[in-house]
Amino acid sequence: MSDSEDDYVYDYSDASSDEGDEMKTSPQQAKSPQEGDSDDEDRKPAAKKSMDIRGEVGVKTPSSKNANANPNAPPAHGSGRKSYDHSPTGSDYLSPAKNPDGLKLMEAEQVREEMHSLVCEITDMLGISEAVATVLMRMHKWNKEALLNAYMNDSNATLSKAGVLSKVQGEGGGATSGSGTGNTCNICCDDDFASDEMYAMSCGHSFCRDCWRGFLHSKVGDGPSCIYATCPAAGCPEVITEVEVSDVSKDVLPKFSTYQLRSYVNLNKLARWCPGAGCTKVASSKTGFGNIKCDCGNEFCIRCGLEPHSPVTCPDLAKWEEKCQNESETANWILANTKKCPKCFTRIEKNQGCNHMVCQQCKFEFCWICLAAWNEHGASTGGYYKCNKFASEGDNPNDQSDAAKAKRELDRYLHYYQRFHAHGQAQKFAKKQLAQTEQRMVQLQDGNSDTSWIDVQFLKTATEQLIECRRVLKYTYTFAYYLEDKDGIKERFEHHQEMLEKFTERLSELSEMDLEKMDRTDVVNMTRVVDKFVKNILKYVDEGMDID
Amino acid sequence: MPNNPILIPTYSSLAFYLAPSPPHPVNVALLLTLSPSCRRINKELLDLGRDPPANCSAGPVGDDLFHWQATIMGPDDSPYAGGVYFLNICFPADYPFKPPKVSFTTRIYHCNINANGGICLDILKDQWSPALTISKVLLSICSLLTDPNPDDPLVPEIATLLRSDRAKHDATAREWTSKYAM
Repeated sequence: MSDSEDDYVYDYSDASSDEGDEMKTSPQQAKSPQEGDSDDEDRKPAAKKSMDIRGEVGVKTPSSKNANANPNAPPAHGSGRKSYDHSPTGSDYLSPAKNPDGLKLMEAEQVREEMHSLVCEITDMLGISEAVATVLMRMHKWNKEALLNAYMNDSNATLSKAGVLSKVQGEGGGATSGSGTGNTCNICCDDDFASDEMYAMSCGHSFCRDCWRGFLHSKVGDGPSCIYATCPAAGCPEVITEVEVSDVSKDVLPKFSTYQLRSYVNLNKLARWCPGAGCTKVASSKTGFGNIKCDCGNEFCIRCGLEPHSPVTCPDLAKWEEKCQNESETANWILANTKKCPKCFTRIEKNQGCNHMVCQQCKFEFCWICLAAWNEHGASTGGYYKCNKFASEGDNPNDQSDAAKAKRELDRYLHYYQRFHAHGQAQKFAKKQLAQTEQRMVQLQDGNSDTSWIDVQFLKTATEQLIECRRVLKYTYTFAYYLEDKDGIKERFEHHQEMLEKFTERLSELSEMDLEKMDRTDVVNMTRVVDKFVKNILKYVDEGMDID
Repeated sequence: MPNNPILIPTYSSLAFYLAPSPPHPVNVALLLTLSPSCRRINKELLDLGRDPPANCSAGPVGDDLFHWQATIMGPDDSPYAGGVYFLNICFPADYPFKPPKVSFTTRIYHCNINANGGICLDILKDQWSPALTISKVLLSICSLLTDPNPDDPLVPEIATLLRSDRAKHDATAREWTSKYAM
């Protein structure tokens, strides 16, 4: 503990200069001039990679903050720098400068209006009813251009494909014009209906109103697919719209229009319902990318609906989740949740956020991630937090047998999964901690009479920062698992990861400290340092990983 | 069985035995006052009696109106000619808004009908319409026997054989017909 404390000090100076480059002392930085030539040659593939990644986090506009000269930044790339503010929190989230993706939150009612105004545009342009326009737009995934193109090409084909041909060409439905009495309904097979008891869409297939009602109830009861329901007559493609629903069975109209609205948002690649339980808000962005924090407190990625997961991409995350599900057997769970003390082999389950462990049995201090003695984690021993790199130990890498390959692959996966899981757990602990923070803030304020509420806010900020760090760290392991190693990008990425990990641990330790021992300046500084490292690693990935 | 305990009927179980049995058979006139699905099924039953479709018949099993058995004669212009096929029909409670569940109980060599008797037919699934009837469904199944649809197979091996060697396929189908359906 004592020697580690000394080691933290050296980076404090960086924390005070807001845009200072922590990388200046790193071995990677020193190395880069030597490999300058090869770097240039290899920029093309690396840039390609950056496209992929930027696709995930959204195209960022250059921010003025970055335009301020950073004396340590390599000038060649300075002009092309992108904003890397991936996970802003709170109210500043949606300020235009920090919101290059055009993120916004909407109430369901606002979305309904937006949908309605889109429908009205089509109604005016093509001279068709709103119901027909809704069906046409839905069929073309709410892409106005696609619909107009198809319509101009062959209006009849477009209409009949959407199942609205007779609605446009026919004289309209309503009560059938058949003889006064003795009409037959083909559903209940009764044959003594008066004409006003019958109802048909413009396709002319008439059924009694009771059967229509039963039919619509059954369709709406089936769920969201009800908006694609067609005429009850066998093989008739005429689509049912809210007009028919309101004519025949008004009681299911609210449900029907809710499903219409839901499909509008679901088909829209730029919007997503907030996945929070019971939340009815819709988040949208201009690019289809970006993370947003809903008013209900839920934070999610617009593209996949999961929690914000930079630097890893949505498809990679989906692959990862599937893999974790397939391989998460009990053994993995135990492996990831409990560990043996490296000295006395007592099983330990971690229930506090920090990775600096002290065994309660033998008082051995060790690192939760790599299980090595904590005092080996000093800078004096060649690396502060050297436990984020994967080195397959004890195996002969030349062993090409299938079993050996499988074992290596499993080991590799477990290495990343273990760390992914460890940070995920730590994130959960930090969230719990956040719930208790308010109480701690009150305590802190009470302990010192001349402290105001604003003065103790730093505690909350620190914990929120901690949660974000844990989240980013978690996903850096998923990212690293799928990261192809070439030109040493992996090493450089791991360096960033290591820095972030190191300071996150320090922040975790500081923010969990007893209130009497806590030093406000330390916590505030560390929060800022850590914030910088988070931004650094995301920026590094965002920029295609070819810049040190 | 030395340790078999002697069962002494309790009051409630005695009451059960003494209770009057439900009316049997079910009164059709009474059913007409019941749910729309009962009425519709009943009408179909009457229609089938009045105007039976060619080569098919159908009717309730016992007194459960929602559970039918049907028979289909193998069509003459198919390898199933001469066979008699039994089918099970279960009506859902919200019939006719939901399709009936129809399955073969007789084994048949057909690329759209599997070993459990499951039938791959669009009108029994997403193309179901409440305006369809059991009689129309049975006729559709008859025409499926005449014209199998190898493009949407339930048993891919049979579909492959049908495409590559029609004669061999028909021979096997005839063999199964005489083995299971005659």
